[in-house]
Amino acid sequence: MIEAKQLSKRFGDRLAVDQLSFSIERGEVVGFLGPNGAGKTTTMRMLTGFTPPSSGKVIVGGHDLFEEPAAARRLVGYLPETPPLYPEMTVAGYLRFVARIQGLPKRDCAEAVDRAMERCGLKEQRRRIIGDLSKGYRQRVGIAQAIVHSPPVLILDEPTVGLDPAQISDIRDLIADLSSAREGELQHAVILSTHILPEVEAICRRIIMIQEGTKRLDRPLDELKAEGQTLQMLFAREIVGEQVPSAGQGGAA
Amino acid sequence: MNGITVIAGRELRSFFVMPVAYVVLTLFALLSGFFFLSKLLDFNFTLMQLQNNLAFDPRAADQLLLWNLNDALITPYLASLLSILLFLVPGVTMGLFSSEKANGTDELLLTSPLPISSIVLGKYLAVVVLVSLLVGMAALFPCLLFLYGDPAPDLGLVLSGLLGLYLVGLLYASVGLFASSLTHNQIIAFFLAFVLCLGLLLLELGVGDSARGLGGVVAYLSLVEHFDNLLRGVVDTGDLGYFFVMIGSFLLLSKASVESVRWR
Ligand SMILES: Nc1ncnc2c1ncn2[C@@H]1O[C@H](COP(=O)(O)OP(=O)(O)OP(=O)(O)O)[C@@H](O)[C@H]1O
Ligand SMILES: [Mg+2]
Repeated sequence: MIEAKQLSKRFGDRLAVDQLSFSIERGEVVGFLGPNGAGKTTTMRMLTGFTPPSSGKVIVGGHDLFEEPAAARRLVGYLPETPPLYPEMTVAGYLRFVARIQGLPKRDCAEAVDRAMERCGLKEQRRRIIGDLSKGYRQRVGIAQAIVHSPPVLILDEPTVGLDPAQISDIRDLIADLSSAREGELQHAVILSTHILPEVEAICRRIIMIQEGTKRLDRPLDELKAEGQTLQMLFAREIVGEQVPSAGQGGAA
Repeated sequence: MNGITVIAGRELRSFFVMPVAYVVLTLFALLSGFFFLSKLLDFNFTLMQLQNNLAFDPRAADQLLLWNLNDALITPYLASLLSILLFLVPGVTMGLFSSEKANGTDELLLTSPLPISSIVLGKYLAVVVLVSLLVGMAALFPCLLFLYGDPAPDLGLVLSGLLGLYLVGLLYASVGLFASSLTHNQIIAFFLAFVLCLGLLLLELGVGDSARGLGGVVAYLSLVEHFDNLLRGVVDTGDLGYFFVMIGSFLLLSKASVESVRWR
């Protein structure tokens, strides 16, 4: 559904992302892991077309992001690292605006907004001013704006930051729900970055680990579990380099 | 097309919620009212003096003939509004793009399927609505003269002057939009727009007697040259063209500037 081909991003003389390739299909939930400064946010910005790559391509649903931007962008919902909120708007007004700029026809907006608010536990907040909301609720509005137009691809940069435990589990359920098959609706492809390893184990089926912009690991989670490896161990080995990485894993697509 | 109105609608609503719009409209009403009144009192005072002088000053009769509402009231009134727009319009436009960058909402707009041109035009349209309200307000005072003035002022002159004021407002708006696209700091965006608009006004000073070569270019760019014609009731396609070219250029510059953020 979304494919990164040899993505690289250079800031001045510093290479933030280096020749990163992967592809994610419908129904997959991919955990995007890496230490601070690894290039996760930069990669996600390239996947959404906010930052152009220095080289490489992004293909969304068969559309090249840079040759057919409108067609490709319509398929993507994106929660940036800082939720993109207008503090003076109401929750419902804001979500309606997002639905409109994402290309939903006017008559479908009310329903889409209601559904997004329902899913993110924002029903009670619909008339509140976003600037008055607590951090956790602002994060929920951020997630709601990413899913309001029901995009088949979801790109979430640290989606559960600032949420309370109950809401975290709600969001996990929501993500699981989006990625699983349901009648009449297609499954979503989800990629989320996070630093919370138990969260990854709870919702992701596959992990991609990067460090200094290069891919270190890309494997299904149950495969790793079957080998008796925990993420904690993997993280320590791949990133911190406590042991010599076992051959053949790094970079295998 | 749809996208333009969605962006413009959000922007306008935020003008009124913030409440930039009310502040700007109130300030404009107060200042334009003050200018109008002071010019009116001035006009009456001079008129009375001239009438008193009729008995012993033979030139007073000629002066009285020349002392009409058009040249002595309408023209200076509209010209004075130019300076009000000079700081009100940048106050409206300063947040257009810079606040998006500060809020991180540029990441939402620029990853949406909307083309950048729709985003730029939508924001511009919102300011155009506000400038229209301002010029509408500016038109109210001359309307009084049509009701109570005797003889009434020249309608054509009033309309072409208002058109000039409107075009200047629209030009300032495009300049402000461009300034706002350059920085994430609203204060910097304000001063940048102010200085650029002031520059367009002050180019007049650089216009030499010989409008040839570089002088000719400066004369063409100078806003006052073109505004003055409209103020005198001369509607010339060349002057209208100037405003369209300038506005179009600043809109294109804004688009390029926003694009460069996407492509940096
Ligand atoms: N606009 C920019 N200009 C210059 N360097 C940048 C820019 N954006 C990111 N970088 C650099 O690119 C590298 C990767 O940053 P990025 O934000 O992608 O990391 P991250 O994996 O998201 O980290 P974190 O876990 O802290 O969110 C960092 O070294 C960062 O300093
Ligand atoms: Mg990050």
